[in-house]
Amino acid sequence: MSLDESISHQSLLKVKVWRGKEDGQWMNYEVPARENQTVLDVVSEIQRKLEPGLAYRYACRVGVCGSCAMTVNGKPRWTCRTHVKKVSGTGELTIEPLRNLPRIKDLVCDLAPFIDTWQKAGAPFSGIQTRHQEPAKVDPGSKARKAADAGLQCINCAVCYSACDVVSWDKDYIGPAGLNRAWTLINDARHGKRAETFNKAFGEGGCGSCHSQGNCTRHCPIGLSPSESITGLKKSALFGLPKV
Amino acid sequence: MQIKTSISTTHIDYHQTDVLILGSGGAGLFAALHAKQANPDLDITIAVKGLFGKSGCTRMVQGGYNVALNPGDSVERHFMDTIVGGKWLPRQDLAWKLCEVAIERIRELENELGCFFDRNPDGTLHQKAFAGQSFDRTAHKGDLTGIEIINRLMEKVWSLSVNKLEEHRAIELIPAADGSGISGVLMIDIRTGKYRFIQARSVLMGTGAGPSMYRYHTPSGDKTCDGLAMALRYGLPLRDMEMVQFHPTGILAGNDTRMTGTILEEGLRGAGGYLLNGGGERFMHNYHKAGERATRDIVSRSMYNEMREGRTTPQGGLFIEMAHLGAENVARKFPGMVTRCADCGFDLAGGRVEVVPTAHYMMGGIEVDIDCSTGSPGLYVAGEDSGGVHGANRLGGNGVANSTVYGGIAGDEMAAYIKRDGEYRDPDRSIIEQGVARVEYPFSQVSGNSMELREQLWVDMWDQVGIVRTAKGIAKGQSQIKEHKNSLMGQGLTDGERSFNLTWHDWINMSSLLTVSEVIATAALAREDSRGAHFREDFLQTDDLETTQYTRVRQQGDGFVQTMVPVEFSIVKPGESLIDDEAGAPPPTQNNSENPQ
Repeated sequence: MSLDESISHQSLLKVKVWRGKEDGQWMNYEVPARENQTVLDVVSEIQRKLEPGLAYRYACRVGVCGSCAMTVNGKPRWTCRTHVKKVSGTGELTIEPLRNLPRIKDLVCDLAPFIDTWQKAGAPFSGIQTRHQEPAKVDPGSKARKAADAGLQCINCAVCYSACDVVSWDKDYIGPAGLNRAWTLINDARHGKRAETFNKAFGEGGCGSCHSQGNCTRHCPIGLSPSESITGLKKSALFGLPKV
Repeated sequence: MQIKTSISTTHIDYHQTDVLILGSGGAGLFAALHAKQANPDLDITIAVKGLFGKSGCTRMVQGGYNVALNPGDSVERHFMDTIVGGKWLPRQDLAWKLCEVAIERIRELENELGCFFDRNPDGTLHQKAFAGQSFDRTAHKGDLTGIEIINRLMEKVWSLSVNKLEEHRAIELIPAADGSGISGVLMIDIRTGKYRFIQARSVLMGTGAGPSMYRYHTPSGDKTCDGLAMALRYGLPLRDMEMVQFHPTGILAGNDTRMTGTILEEGLRGAGGYLLNGGGERFMHNYHKAGERATRDIVSRSMYNEMREGRTTPQGGLFIEMAHLGAENVARKFPGMVTRCADCGFDLAGGRVEVVPTAHYMMGGIEVDIDCSTGSPGLYVAGEDSGGVHGANRLGGNGVANSTVYGGIAGDEMAAYIKRDGEYRDPDRSIIEQGVARVEYPFSQVSGNSMELREQLWVDMWDQVGIVRTAKGIAKGQSQIKEHKNSLMGQGLTDGERSFNLTWHDWINMSSLLTVSEVIATAALAREDSRGAHFREDFLQTDDLETTQYTRVRQQGDGFVQTMVPVEFSIVKPGESLIDDEAGAPPPTQNNSENPQ
């Protein structure tokens, strides 16, 4: 390979993108490799310059809305915060929709079934108090508060749901994000239905189905540990609800 | 929601619902919740351009929620800070209601919805200092408060029986055939590409505006002023549209990345971060004694001037540098910002990150009454789409308070309205047909690229109608916008597929942005003084506060009509105050290192 060829090869990124729904095909594109470039930028560039019909989804651009997750080189990732350099050691990208969710078109999935698991796991919150009272006093250093805190700020991006093998074979399984939410509720002194939430989280499709493979925790883009929350739920079955 | 037959000639699905809500940010979700609480029998439909609870900017709130909870604070104090911060331009009864109802709303969020706001050691809510406030009143959850607020709201509303239309884009407000009020909204189901008319007794617009017509901007990518553009076509007046807030530190990472324009939080400057020009020199003390810690508008203008003088980085921006505070210390104090930068390839803790001021929020919007109603019976507006609460400048922490307070009020009021006299109105079918024709148009044209046009608009708005304005520049901007409008009509679509055709939606986005850009320019030309976010290099003074007027713009035919309207000082007059000490000044005991968002 001549020097010129090698430079031109380095400056182009080879991208393989899934187009269609369950039935579809891989399409190949080449886009310029850039210094500051996320996977979302690559997908956007393909749509803007090469394939105007390409469907994908994004909103906030900064990793808080959880709209843009896709499967990138085989792993579920948030694409707005995934720098190309982090995933394309070979100079190649393969981008397809998240698994475990119904496909809509190209890189877009329906996230509604994933959000539905929230309710199955015992959400929403049911307050003991109302708007006519002062907020409850909660010791920020208490064990329960810290446990709840550790599981909050989930952006419901469905990366864990897509990474989870149990979800892929058991459609009744609530999945990591919903169970993680249940664990934060069980540790919340202000929640009036802690026992009910626990029963749901431990019932059919609940934490008992988890095989502790840890894919959820390994892939969570914001570093939450649904595995730990699920372990907490399982322990509660033996030792009772955590003290709040 | 009842599904009816289609309106035969134009292939439009037809539905009916009692309450139709556009948008699922803080305003839309609170409206749905309150309307359902007021009357559980109401059939409520939420339509959102993106995903439920994921579209829009409430979720992106970093800093927090302003609310007078502490016994040492008061509604009067919060109100005075808001009025003085807004340079006496806010509509005072709206600002008062914001401050008053915020107390109930934060309790609702915490007690009924389960938001877990940060606590003081004694267990009470922690409230931090924010710029322009005379009391530390910003409740928060870490430095990503919006996630907690929207997560709890969305799981609550998701659990109610509310119809959810995700990836539905509103394209036209449809009046009643007899002109008696709103009859419903025409939209595109983005997933299928089909048209849908939803007839409703009452409609809330909570689509969140968003100044994404500027080269550098912070809002979520789906925000393109669609709601404001629809309101203009519908005939509603907009106020204060010249008031666009710029945030000093947006990431600058090149034209080809969506990271560009997104915010690095103001706390970095508050903690002692340096802003450096292209030559590596600090410059803020050349402009203001507070240096990097001066308020948003001053820092943004100073940065703009430094850039205009050519003292820039290779990409045309400036640097923020934190390394002198110790890389480890910075990484510990700002983990969110450091990882965000690292994911994008920047070393914030130990290196320099290129930054530019970035368009953040529109203080202006649709004129509403205190109950969120508009001049059109049945049509309500809340959140960033509405104008008048913030005046010339929005305080950090008043944005999410605005959307949640007024979203809830709108929900209460819409339920009451329907009980009172909310009948379905027959739609004006000619407006439906016009709406369809408007968005069908690009399919009739040969191919083009509306994104290139959008990039030109970004530059023109930035240069001519941006942080520093002159009559000459604004006039130039106006003629550029008109040219872009003509160019857009020559842009078509190569892919005729309707389903999830983002390039089609890029075209419609561009159309909305051009309309609202023209309104911003019109209002900016009319305001011949400098105040708050509006800075006229040819009119540096702030006019007499007692005769303060606001700009009102409405569409007439293809053009816009602008008038000046006196501000009514219904609660407090310039020179008077409801508090003893200085409104807007930092509290005397404040050890201010935390700062605003």
